[in-house]
Amino acid sequence: MASSPLDRKRRLLEALPDQPEFVSTLDLVWRQAQSSFPGARLGEWLEACHGLAESDVGRDCVVSYVRSAPAIASAAGADAALSIARMVSETAARAGDRAAASLAMVASRAARRLANGAAFAEWLRVIQIVVAAAPESVTPLLDRSESLLQELGVQGFEAWVLNGVRQGATDPQKRLAFFTRRDQQTLRTASHEEDEVSLSDVERQLKAFIMALWHMAPPIRALSNGAPDRPRRASFANGIVRLPSSFRGHSRDEASLLYSAAIAHVAAHLQFSRMKFAIGSLKPLQMALISLIEDARIEHLAMRQFPGLGRLWRPFHIAMPSGALTAPALMARLARALIDPGHADDNGWIQKGQEMFFAEEARWEDPGISRSIGGLLGNDLGQMRVQFNARTYSVEPAYRDDNQGLWVFDDAGAPADEQETILEAVRFEREDDAEQPDRERETPEDDADGQEANRAALVEVDSEVGIPVARYPEWDFLIGRERPQWATLVEYEASEGQADAVEDILHRYPVLEQRITKLVRSAKVSRPQRLRRQQEGDRLDLDACIGAAIDQRLGDTPDPRIYARLERRFRDLSVLLLLDVSQSTNDVVPGAGRKVIELEREATALLAHAMAGLGDPFAIHAFCSDTRADVRYYRLKAFDAPYGPAAKRHLAGISGRFSTRMGAALRHAGRELSARMSYRRLLLIISDGEPSDVDVADRRYLVEDARQAVKSMARLGVDVFCVGLDAGGDNYLTRIFGRRNVLQIDRVERLPEKLSMLYFRLLGS
Amino acid sequence: MDLRHYVIAHEPYYRAAADEVDLFQAAYADRMPMMLKGPTGSGKTRFVEHLAWKLGKPLITVACHEDMTASDLVGRFLLDAQGTLWHDGPLTLAVRYGAICYLDEIVEARQDTTVVIHPLTDDRRILPLEKKGEVIHAHPDFQLVISYNPGYQSVLKDLKESTKQRFGAIQFDYPPSAIEAEIVAHEAGVDRNLAQQLVGIAERSRNLKGHGLEEGASTRMLIQAGRLVSRGASLQAACRTAIVLPITDDEDIRAALTAAISACL
Ligand SMILES: Nc1ncnc2c1ncn2[C@@H]1O[C@H](COP(=O)(O)OP(=O)(O)OP(=O)(O)O)[C@@H](O)[C@H]1O
Ligand SMILES: [Mg+2]
Repeated sequence: MASSPLDRKRRLLEALPDQPEFVSTLDLVWRQAQSSFPGARLGEWLEACHGLAESDVGRDCVVSYVRSAPAIASAAGADAALSIARMVSETAARAGDRAAASLAMVASRAARRLANGAAFAEWLRVIQIVVAAAPESVTPLLDRSESLLQELGVQGFEAWVLNGVRQGATDPQKRLAFFTRRDQQTLRTASHEEDEVSLSDVERQLKAFIMALWHMAPPIRALSNGAPDRPRRASFANGIVRLPSSFRGHSRDEASLLYSAAIAHVAAHLQFSRMKFAIGSLKPLQMALISLIEDARIEHLAMRQFPGLGRLWRPFHIAMPSGALTAPALMARLARALIDPGHADDNGWIQKGQEMFFAEEARWEDPGISRSIGGLLGNDLGQMRVQFNARTYSVEPAYRDDNQGLWVFDDAGAPADEQETILEAVRFEREDDAEQPDRERETPEDDADGQEANRAALVEVDSEVGIPVARYPEWDFLIGRERPQWATLVEYEASEGQADAVEDILHRYPVLEQRITKLVRSAKVSRPQRLRRQQEGDRLDLDACIGAAIDQRLGDTPDPRIYARLERRFRDLSVLLLLDVSQSTNDVVPGAGRKVIELEREATALLAHAMAGLGDPFAIHAFCSDTRADVRYYRLKAFDAPYGPAAKRHLAGISGRFSTRMGAALRHAGRELSARMSYRRLLLIISDGEPSDVDVADRRYLVEDARQAVKSMARLGVDVFCVGLDAGGDNYLTRIFGRRNVLQIDRVERLPEKLSMLYFRLLGS
Repeated sequence: MDLRHYVIAHEPYYRAAADEVDLFQAAYADRMPMMLKGPTGSGKTRFVEHLAWKLGKPLITVACHEDMTASDLVGRFLLDAQGTLWHDGPLTLAVRYGAICYLDEIVEARQDTTVVIHPLTDDRRILPLEKKGEVIHAHPDFQLVISYNPGYQSVLKDLKESTKQRFGAIQFDYPPSAIEAEIVAHEAGVDRNLAQQLVGIAERSRNLKGHGLEEGASTRMLIQAGRLVSRGASLQAACRTAIVLPITDDEDIRAALTAAISACL
């Protein structure tokens, strides 16, 4: 039929002489239609209008569609406008003419507001679900669509609407009440940020949940809600799980359930989707279906083990066996038919899928069945010529992940990090969607993370600028005198690394962490201590009394200390942890295959965790030196700073350079510590080697100076304790600190474990 | 003095998971001091009771605590009208008259208590009562058994090497799931299916050890949950009462555990 659109239009108008309103409307929008339906689409659109006009839907519906379609096409694309023609008759059939008439009109406004094909497709999908599952509520929903979109965005809209459909599952009255109530709680919870559950609220719980189920602890990262118009799905790749940072529009309970369902689903993938599928020559639709079967497969395997998971997942499947025959709609229905064998759907394709899948029940362990069944169903669906747009497709229901983790993408050679971003960027088609790359979790403080890390990387080692803050004397043992103002102490900004790296340390030592927590707890409650054999007290010490009575009878002088009393002892302690970060800390510890400095970092992280838990004020400083003119000093955490992300980034950022001029650093730390108003002040230094510097030839010189520095600490009321990591360090360390104040750790790999325990021991003394 | 009260008349139910009964009997034949290691509620106490019964010996159990001193174990002089009177402590009773003495959680007690057991647990087998100026040679039936939970103590409260090395040890872990279910079914009077479900639930909580929980749910907890069910509670409520609430105060972990439990049902 190679007739021009104009001919088509003329014939159409002639065919409908009894519909003057139709004719005039078409004339009215004709110019706009010509520009918004490109090429052959204009003809298709006229066909669609014709079809509608000759069908039994109400005149108002047809006219409303004709009037709105060109606007929809120019805002959201011709395809969207065409698909609405089908939806209009569907809606008229299920929800009545009034709903169908407002559909096109409201759609044109939504298309303009959303101004983005994907977002509009999302909106349409939601409406489609309501048409199929809650036809009585279509009109009230459409009436409110504008204001809802304005308030919630399309994602919140989706969440809110699906929530309503779910809540009123089988009860039209309940659903209607949900969609018509104005002053309702539901909308408030949907729109108010403070009521929102964010990933950080539930993350610990989710981690514990899958740890309990399958003893797994994949790292979890937040997906920012980057593109506001696209529903967010969980994702996993390379063992990292990404979850939306929030599920907008859900009430607290709903969102928590959604998170639980999502993490359980992804965990089931990690547990049962043991291999990745190769893409080969598969089409996007086939890939989507293979993924869908795989989802069902792993969920069933998971439910064999934990039947209760079905109760968690199934309520999210609300697709009804009716509605437009678009691929996403059919797939949502198939997903439901697969998770719930009792769910009947009259669609032949879905029945076929359901039968094939359950026929293979004995082989569910084999991921190959996902590939074969999904491939077949994908072919069938392809032949049914239903619409499928990989760019706008998103997996249903919302708890399921995007299934990117199931596929091997071709960029194999890329390093892991890059791979990850590649995977992130890839959807079923390599789309160049405006989606932002996912960022790490965002807290206000962390926000600067990216930039900060970049900056640190750009800064050259020597361009670090420090501020000289003090000159300290040095002890020259040869002349037996101090050289005044000899070493210049320069404070530098500590560089930054990833705070996550420090967080992860705690996970690496679960047993130790747990032990520390326990010790912290028992050290914290300042238990009353019973002091026995006291000169005075509030009660008699029975043993002492008896002893005294016996002595008396034997004619001996009894011991007068026969009382006991209870006393609470509070700890009042400030701790400064001073880390040696000289060049030698880059050495790899033979037994451990790790650098000394990494072990220092781990030990410090664990200890800091303990100290933060105890509430003891503490600081973490680090030092190295490059001649007496440049004793470098870094404040990783100051006394009055919290042990938070900033401190952790500093700790993550330490690196080993230069030499070890210990005396000056000790004096500087001691001076600061002595200013603390605590009953006890403890300077805990971790060092891996003998004091040395490039401008000093005599090895004894700096040792003797450090010894003097330690002596001066005692006068300041500061206790110094050294943890030595040099197996042969006994001599000089005991020389510097005194035998009782040194702990030699000969197996450096045990430092993380030893340090915290040492601390608790020091507390006890 | 006779220890009739300390003799166990009826067989305490004990389901062996491996060869621990034989091992203990061999150890007893040699009067080797024994150390029972393992988490709380894993059947240590029940095991000693069972063996004491099997061996036909009296059993004296002492639950050690922080304030416990050597005198509490060994005995002390008491004042009475005539003067002073020596009173044997539980350990001394066992040593003198021949019983198995079970010191539960010995590390909880003060350091000086562990010293008194040293001469008892080497070849000398003697108990010097310093205050009384007496040295008791242990009765041939006497055996010392202690329980010890390495995970629970702080470094500050560990057993000394010289103490540890005097003992033989039996490790008590949660038994394999089928056996544990059998135990739960027997002790709680519930059917095997339910017991098996409870064991599945316990495994969830045990996965959380070191990840929010200090210890997973013990066999004892399962039995208690089971008993609630057999008295008419719903399984969910029973788990909450007997497992989730007692085991942690951490809201997140409770929520996770609750979710994991409901996944099992
Ligand atoms: N192997 C077993 N056979 C029979 N009953 C068992 C067994 N293991 C555990 N139980 C049951 O578990 C309960 C708790 O065990 P028991 O009191 O012996 O623990 P425990 O290891 O001594 O704990 P704790 O260290 O807290 O004292 C017992 O009362 C018994 O019902
Ligand atoms: Mg999936």
